[in-house]
Amino acid sequence: MKIISRKFVFSGGWVLGCAVVVFFLFQSYRHADRSDAAAAKGREEVVFWHFWGGEDRTIVDGIVDRFNDSQHQYFVRAIAMPGNNLQAKLFLAVAGGDPPDIVNQDDPVLADWAKRGVIQPLKNVAAAAEVDQVKQSLLAPARRLSVVDGALFAVCNGLDIRTLLYNQTAIDAAGLAVPQTIAQLDAIAEHFWPSVTDGPPPRLHSPVGYLPDSRRLWAWGPAFGADFYDPQTKQCKLDSAPVLAALKWMVGYSRRYGADNLASFGQGDQSLPGQTFPLLPVDDDAVVGRYVVIMDGQWRVRDVAAFQKRRADLGLPEVKFGACPLPVPTGGSEFNGRDANGQPQPQPQSQSQSPGRKDAGWVNGNFFVVPTGAKCPRGAWEFAKFWIGQSAFSDAESAADGYAQGGWIPVTREVAESATYRQYVTENPLMETFVRLASSPHQYPIPVVVGAALLKRAVENMTYDAMIKNNADDTDDKAIAALLKQRSAEVIRRLKVMQELTF
Amino acid sequence: MVDRASQLRSSSSWVAGMAFTSPWLLGLVALFAWPFAASLYWSFCTFDIINPPRFVGVENYQRLAAEIASGRGAGKALMNTVYYALLSVPLSVVLGVLLAVVLSAQVRGQAFFRTIIFLPSVIPVVASSVLWIWMLDPDGGLMNLILGWFGVPPQNWLNQARPAVSIEGVAQIGGWLTGGPLLLMGSKDALVLMTLWGVGNFVVIYLAAISDIPATLYEAADIDGASGVRKLLHVTVPMLSPVIFFNLVMGLIRSVQTFTSIYVLSAGTGQPGESLMTVSLRLFTSAFADFEMGYASAIAWVMFVGLMFCTVLLFRTSKSWVHYRQ
Repeated sequence: MKIISRKFVFSGGWVLGCAVVVFFLFQSYRHADRSDAAAAKGREEVVFWHFWGGEDRTIVDGIVDRFNDSQHQYFVRAIAMPGNNLQAKLFLAVAGGDPPDIVNQDDPVLADWAKRGVIQPLKNVAAAAEVDQVKQSLLAPARRLSVVDGALFAVCNGLDIRTLLYNQTAIDAAGLAVPQTIAQLDAIAEHFWPSVTDGPPPRLHSPVGYLPDSRRLWAWGPAFGADFYDPQTKQCKLDSAPVLAALKWMVGYSRRYGADNLASFGQGDQSLPGQTFPLLPVDDDAVVGRYVVIMDGQWRVRDVAAFQKRRADLGLPEVKFGACPLPVPTGGSEFNGRDANGQPQPQPQSQSQSPGRKDAGWVNGNFFVVPTGAKCPRGAWEFAKFWIGQSAFSDAESAADGYAQGGWIPVTREVAESATYRQYVTENPLMETFVRLASSPHQYPIPVVVGAALLKRAVENMTYDAMIKNNADDTDDKAIAALLKQRSAEVIRRLKVMQELTF
Repeated sequence: MVDRASQLRSSSSWVAGMAFTSPWLLGLVALFAWPFAASLYWSFCTFDIINPPRFVGVENYQRLAAEIASGRGAGKALMNTVYYALLSVPLSVVLGVLLAVVLSAQVRGQAFFRTIIFLPSVIPVVASSVLWIWMLDPDGGLMNLILGWFGVPPQNWLNQARPAVSIEGVAQIGGWLTGGPLLLMGSKDALVLMTLWGVGNFVVIYLAAISDIPATLYEAADIDGASGVRKLLHVTVPMLSPVIFFNLVMGLIRSVQTFTSIYVLSAGTGQPGESLMTVSLRLFTSAFADFEMGYASAIAWVMFVGLMFCTVLLFRTSKSWVHYRQ
């Protein structure tokens, strides 16, 4: 009995299938051969791991190409890695003795990597004067993101700044002011969704003025005057009066609008089909989206521009948007719900906050690091400098090109003030506030300490518990203070253990 | 001479046997025995992959015990896992048996219905999890739309930490009956729902077992005048009990090890409010986000011992309710 018939072996489909496979193998070989040949021109190869995808990846590839064209000593080979578990892959690569030469990251892991010896201090890579020059060129928030215990371990290459993005058209129509104080922000929230005086709050629907996100105590803390880290004692400080004031204010929203509403009416998963940036109206005839005011980063400028272009193309009336720094408390005038007659009630004087800090907030950013055991650390350093506009192979103007294309925030004053970047800001006026805040000394990252990722999670979990899980309707101020004290002690204790074990 | 020849034959067949089994044996030692032993040693160390393990005694286990006692960290993860296992495993068994009974009926389109029930089991977990995130979106998700047709208010699903089976859940129902809002289903309930959607695997096993039940038993029950429900309870279920037992044990192990769907649903964070932080996810984040390999190994060992204990317990109780055909 024939298992495979002659007819089958020579059937047209089978032959066609083989031809397709051979074609694809040939194509992939050709493609691989081309890039290999480029690297083999006697240059030192710099292996660069990053996690950018989509539009950003094209821009990153463009910067890599420009660097490769700018000189003849190094050749950067960019490898896009999945962002998830990049850390695990790097640790294993370093442990296995074959790490990349340069890695870009944006998680709060710098101190952990530095103290565990996964990355090397940049003074090992370049001359001290050169390293110091780059360090001094960085804006204050970028420097905070790059330094561990005074030593430069990373080169921050882009900042993520949070502002309040608002619907100017809706605020103007309501006769309200752009929020500069917490009281003004509360007034916007109350205007668009008045809190009820008795009974359970009804389910929220669009438009809502403003709702705080439980992950954003990191941003509101500095605006209320908090420092999460004391550089003198090198200790984290969570249980402080400003942090408590910020937390109470956030919990106040849960009390007024209902914890379940805050849970369900969060920003939602914007990666889902049909979901858009919640500031933008979905329907063409609407001028207000899910929110009137929302805290978000500079990457939204692109979304807003695309939205406005689409409306202009359709001949629809313009909807104006703006961006402002986080408002600050002024002390004693904050809204604290309504009395039985529906009249707004201020915070009791005893609980009022001290004046907050202007232009303050939470900053994050991307940074380059050079892993221990990198084969071409000098090439990695040159590439990092090229990116931020501090290299002999590039100037501020050419570096600004990449920042403008990506809608990124530069990390040096020279690039931020370059003609190319200023042109971009002029064309995208929402960026102005983001760029201005990038040079504010009051933009703080999550403290760059061992266990920072754990610290971040702990603070966000604590805020969630205070705002939502503990049913804020029943949570009094003493309970909030007790929760902050308890969780703060727990996490500080754990950080100390982690630091001892790491050293 | 004969003895020597026999010895040689036996020794050469031993060598040949070892040579043929060596690929598997090597795999067993390198991929199972060695990691097994290493993780036991690491559970008594602090270890971050980069630096050599440092012996710290029972510190990792002490930390684990403290967290379980306080109900935070690993304690919270354990409670979440227990909730999920206690709900998903029995419901999978009940639903699986009922579906198998219905699908075993000789009706037109039987193969079609069986295929429909089994289809979710062949969809990759990541793809189905993303689909579920979409369907369970509180604002415009398909599930809330369907609930709305039956007059049930929209649920928060993956945005709510509070589970349905809880004191607060009971209070919600009480409040709803007196005109209040009803926000019952939380993230863990969504996970249970997803598990039930993939019950087709179990159904296939039940269907095979049902087809194996002797028709004479049903005929005898018919002669005795037993109703359909009685036949289900006194013939089908007892005859299925060995398979139910098998699925119970496998379901328990699977529920404790569930990882991929939870990782996708919560983007690896266990949020909201750590309600999706299960033991397996806690183990993963400790090992590969915090690089506390020692602590993660301790979690793995406690999980292993816990599962062993539950399995042994199930085996002990099985004597009283599992009926093997003589």
